[in-house]
Amino acid sequence: MSKPCCRLRPVLPAVLGVLLLLPGLGRPAGADEIPSQVIRQAFSKWSSSLCLVMFSQELTDPRSGETRRREGTALGLLVRSDGLVITHGHLQTDTSRITDARVRIDSGNTPGELPAVVLGKPDELNLLFLQIQAPEGTAFPAVSFSDVPLQLGDPVLILGRMSESVDYAPGVTLDYIASVVDTPRTAYCLGGGLKMGFLSGPVLNARGEVVGVTGLEMSEEEGGGLYSRSGVPMVFQTALLAPCISAPPRPGGSAEPKPAGEEAWLGVFTQPLKPEFAAYWGLSEPGGLIVSTVVPDSPAAQAGIRPGDIIKSFDGKPQRATQDREVLNFSRLVRDTGPGKTVRIELLRDGQPMSLDVTLSTRPQSAQDAEEYEEDVLGLTVRELTRDIRIALNIAEDVQGVIVRRVASGSPAQAAKMRPGVIIMSVGEQTVTSIEEYRQAIEHLRAARPDEVPLFARLGSATGFFRVRPRW
Amino acid sequence: MKRTLAFVVRGRLRPIGLAILCCGWLAGCATLSRPEGSVLRAREQVSPALVHIRPVKEMFQTGKRTEMLVVGSGFIISPEGYVVTNEHVAGDSTSVQCVLSDNRELDAQVVGTDPDTDIAVLKLQGDGPFPCVKWGRSDSIESGQVALAFGSPHGLSRSVSMGIISMTDRNLDEEDANSAPYNNFIQTDAAINPGNSGGPLVNIRGEVIGVNARMLRGAENVGFAIPADIARAVVEAIIRDGRVRRSYFGFELQEMTARSMDPARRGVLIAGVDRFSPAAEADIRPGDVLIAVNGTPVNARWREDLPAVRRLIADLPVGEPARLTIDRNGEQREVTVTSVEKTAARGKQEAFELWGVSVAEVTQEIARRAQLSRPAGVLVIGVSPGAPAAWAGLQPGDIILTMDGETVDDFSAFRRMYDQRLQENRRQIMLFVQRGALTRFVLINLEQTSTEQEETRGHE
Repeated sequence: MSKPCCRLRPVLPAVLGVLLLLPGLGRPAGADEIPSQVIRQAFSKWSSSLCLVMFSQELTDPRSGETRRREGTALGLLVRSDGLVITHGHLQTDTSRITDARVRIDSGNTPGELPAVVLGKPDELNLLFLQIQAPEGTAFPAVSFSDVPLQLGDPVLILGRMSESVDYAPGVTLDYIASVVDTPRTAYCLGGGLKMGFLSGPVLNARGEVVGVTGLEMSEEEGGGLYSRSGVPMVFQTALLAPCISAPPRPGGSAEPKPAGEEAWLGVFTQPLKPEFAAYWGLSEPGGLIVSTVVPDSPAAQAGIRPGDIIKSFDGKPQRATQDREVLNFSRLVRDTGPGKTVRIELLRDGQPMSLDVTLSTRPQSAQDAEEYEEDVLGLTVRELTRDIRIALNIAEDVQGVIVRRVASGSPAQAAKMRPGVIIMSVGEQTVTSIEEYRQAIEHLRAARPDEVPLFARLGSATGFFRVRPRW
Repeated sequence: MKRTLAFVVRGRLRPIGLAILCCGWLAGCATLSRPEGSVLRAREQVSPALVHIRPVKEMFQTGKRTEMLVVGSGFIISPEGYVVTNEHVAGDSTSVQCVLSDNRELDAQVVGTDPDTDIAVLKLQGDGPFPCVKWGRSDSIESGQVALAFGSPHGLSRSVSMGIISMTDRNLDEEDANSAPYNNFIQTDAAINPGNSGGPLVNIRGEVIGVNARMLRGAENVGFAIPADIARAVVEAIIRDGRVRRSYFGFELQEMTARSMDPARRGVLIAGVDRFSPAAEADIRPGDVLIAVNGTPVNARWREDLPAVRRLIADLPVGEPARLTIDRNGEQREVTVTSVEKTAARGKQEAFELWGVSVAEVTQEIARRAQLSRPAGVLVIGVSPGAPAAWAGLQPGDIILTMDGETVDDFSAFRRMYDQRLQENRRQIMLFVQRGALTRFVLINLEQTSTEQEETRGHE
């Protein structure tokens, strides 16, 4: 019997399936506007930057926790001469992980297959960064980008690779900017369908300048949140890419904590003050940021900011957001302000202007760079409960533990019906509040070799025990 | 995976399906010859009391009030015309039509329902006396004994199928909406299909040993019935009080083997304790072991043992102190806890069509799942596409906390506030909603949408 009123279970991250896009329905509108000569020139100039990423992938079913492996290939694009490569982001998600990556390069000075390290994905771009492992000083034929804006209707040329049946031969396809979407941030949608081999391919304008790469937006479950527009291929423009290329993500799962003092944090979620909201509250003009959520114990909470406050100015900079995408600008502004800095916030509370001084703190670790630990005693890969995981899964602040990310196929944990999303709060008699304590608990088990170990855990709002029998 | 058996009326069976079923029946005839005499006698006892049930259910899931006709089964248990069926057949219904074995069509009134055991009791509106079945005992059944299932599979009334009891106490408790905390099930291979819901499972002597309630989707001949002993107690409580009153302390139980296989450990494991519950006030903690209730030892080594312990606790008098013996790390302690009445998991529902939103009462259970500290606001369960609520971005799962800055205490407060705005013809209403861990402002704008809708109409 379905009782939809009771469906309040935490939303498990949906599997972000590999999206196969159908070829375009008709001839792209602007196709004729790029002369064949430009196409051939662009191809000969940049096709050597197109490499092939070959990988083993581990896919986890978020419900059953079962893991299967597959081998795959994807288009890679050399974006820096030291061997920095980008490929499409859905290869690495909450439920899929690249375990072994190699990059095949066909031309240039270093043809052949080279090992590569997965660096990870930046917070806002659904692109996966890899670093080719090559001797110091090796120069790769990287593509160079031009920061030229795109407009609705612009014809674009996309470079990529054909299917396996023609040994991934480099090729071109033509498309056009079919739509410019303003919310939640400016995004350029392509008109035709894109074949897989053209995802993360360089996008060139009619003058042959590389203005961005193709990609798909992140899913909401993945923390894409505001940026979610799944399915439609987009152009990630140079302006978005350039900062990530100069400072690529650090490899995930490293024990090293993210260096402090990089990005500032206020601890609010906001909505734009749209005209109809301003009219409702009887405010003379729209524009500003409505505080919708204040994160407990954040700088905002300590400064006394409340939901419903309208931020009109931050650190002397007036805030006039009336559109959802402008909220993102505010987030960037806060991040770039510098942790430890005390800023003045002008706001409206119940229509009355007031100002508050807030000392920003450091942005908490995000799910993307949360520490991960994989062990072979129970067969679990666990992660820290970062603040964004807490928010995504609605986990209260007083719940301490580590969260299961993967359950190894055939493992003792799988036999005990453990699954991703379970929060482990104790292992045997030992309370677990961090990765380090989990690691110690596992080491303890390894030494004591018990026949069975009870785990105390939480899933959603319920708690309970799992009895796991390690195989020694 | 599991599927309950109310059969939704959509269309007629296609002839091809019927043909295949007929062939199967012919082939099966020969094997039935030996026990035929007893089967016929059992059938003669039960058939007259069979009821084909057609409730019209009221639903609010889409932002609108809709009605749905379902088909199920039931059986008469007393000459005055009390009928037993499943809650998932007759619950939430606005009217219930019954067809008796002699083809009489009678309306029935819902006397009461119990979602926790999936039992409902109806009263036929007509002149008795009615033919009725005889209850059997489910505590003496054995797997392997013959079982007959009666009912209306796929709407085909007065059907009987035969099999054996495959397992006597199958535990199907899950942590979802299909939970069955107070009973195990009788598993049978007698054919049970959608539409059999609420029909009797009968032994060869023609006595009711269970109420057919579930089947396993994708499996063959795996059906489940609520044991008669449990069904009967619930039915009697419903006839007496209109509902089942249960004591609630606020702890969740788990079998002892969830933590250790050590046979020396006896009792029931406390898996979780609700915040703000009597158990939490008494400092009962997860990991404690409950070993006795009012001096009576309790023990649940296996999962199948849990329903009996839960029943023992639920049947304690509501509002009276109970003495619980708890073992914490080998140390015994006695605590006195006063129970409260267990509230229904699902509460009132209603559609507010001007806004295009349906909302449900935030019950204790819903508040617990949404991690609210206490029940507050109302839960959005449906948004009508294109309606003002949809334009405003309201989503199912949102909990409406305030309206125009005023706290929405509960369901009736929401209804009152809605009606008031309707009377005053207010066109903009600001809601503050909880969505997962976050909160958000949502502006219902009745002006904007009406013009948008007119524009759409203009295009047609």
